[in-house]
Amino acid sequence: MVKKINGSQFENEAMKSAVAVVDFSATWCGPCRMLAPVLESVSETLAGKADFYNVDIDEAPALADKYSVNSVPCLILFKDGKPASRSIGFKPAQMISAWVESNL
Amino acid sequence: MERCDVAVIGTGPAGASAAITAKLRGKIVTLFGSASMSEKMTRAHLIQNYPGLPSVSGAELARALAEHLKSMDIPITEKKVNAVYAMDGYFALQCGEEFIEARSVIIAAGVMREKPLPGENELLGSGVSHCATCDASLYRGKNVAVIGYDPGEEAEAAFLSEVCAHVTYIPAYKDDTRLPERVGVVREKPEEIGKDEDGVFVKTDKGTYRASGIFVLRESVAPSQLVPGIETAGNHINVNRKMETNIPGVFACGDVTGTPYQYIKAAGEGNVAALSAVAYLDKNA
Repeated sequence: MVKKINGSQFENEAMKSAVAVVDFSATWCGPCRMLAPVLESVSETLAGKADFYNVDIDEAPALADKYSVNSVPCLILFKDGKPASRSIGFKPAQMISAWVESNL
Repeated sequence: MERCDVAVIGTGPAGASAAITAKLRGKIVTLFGSASMSEKMTRAHLIQNYPGLPSVSGAELARALAEHLKSMDIPITEKKVNAVYAMDGYFALQCGEEFIEARSVIIAAGVMREKPLPGENELLGSGVSHCATCDASLYRGKNVAVIGYDPGEEAEAAFLSEVCAHVTYIPAYKDDTRLPERVGVVREKPEEIGKDEDGVFVKTDKGTYRASGIFVLRESVAPSQLVPGIETAGNHINVNRKMETNIPGVFACGDVTGTPYQYIKAAGEGNVAALSAVAYLDKNA
C-alpha cells in the first residue's frame, strides 16, 4: 500500500520508518499517474521490507524544495530519516523493486 | 480507443514490415508514424540491394511500402509517441496528453542522429528537461532557456512562454523563427550545459545563459527515454535474435537495434519482431 501523506505528516510517518520510499508526484504529471499503480504493486511485493508513501508536491512545496525535487515523479528512499537514494521518472515494476532491494 | 494487440512505432521499412506481418497473423495493429513514411528513406537516392526491387529510389520504395500498407487496410496513426510505459500486463503509450494502450509494442523508430550536448543527460532531472508539456508547471513564473533542434519545437517554446516568466529560445538550426515577441531568440550555437552553485546555464559559442530550467527539445527521442527501463547500448536498443528486448512484450527492429543501417535488414527484423510479438501474445492470452 502507498500511503498519501502531507507535509505535516512527513515527520511522523516517513521520517520514523527504517526504510521509506517516498513518491514525490503532481496531479498534472502524466508519468506520475502511470507510476502510481506500478508503485502500488511494488509496495505489495515488498511489504514488510519498506514503507511506501506519496507526497503531492503542490500540497507540500516546502518539502519538495527541501529535498530538491526538480523533476516528477521522483522516488526518494530514506533510511532512518535520511535520503539514501533517488530514482527519477517512470520505471517498470521490476526495476523499482530491484532499486529498493539494492538499498535495503 | 480500444487496447490493440500490437503497437508499432515508426513508418520506415522496419515498422511497415512488422505491421504487415502482425496483421497477416490476425492481430489488431496500431501503426504510429508519419503518413508520408520515413523521411530518411524518401531522401535516399538509389537502393540496389533490396531483393526483388533492383535499382529502386528511396521515394519509390516508400511509395511501395505505403501502397502495401493501404492494400492490407493498415492505417497510419499520425501521433508522436513521447513515452511507452510498461504497466501490469499491458503498455501505455503517451501521445501528448493522450494515452493509448497496447498488449505488446514494437519499436521501429530509427536511430537518433543528433548527439546530446555535454552535460545534457547528466543534468536530466536536475534542471534539464526533454519534455515541455511534462515539466512546464515546475517552472511557473520562472525563467527558462529552450534549445530547439527543429522549427517544430517553436510551438513548445511558445507554450512555455505562457507559463514561465521568460523564455530564451536558442535555435540549433538556421531557419527563421516564428515566435511570440515575448520570447527572446538567441542566435548562437549551444555548446554545453552546466550547473554550479548559482544554478543551471547554457554555454554557447558567444556567451552563457542562466535559467531556472533548460529544455532541450528534439524531434527524435532517445530509446532509453522513449521506453523507460529498456536496456540500451548508446542510441541502440539491445535485442536478441528474436528481436526481444529486456522488457517482456517489447520488441525492437531496424536501425534502432544497430548496424548495418540497411533497408532490407530493417524489413527482415520487422518480420521477426512481429512474429515474436505474436508468439508473446498467444502465450499470454
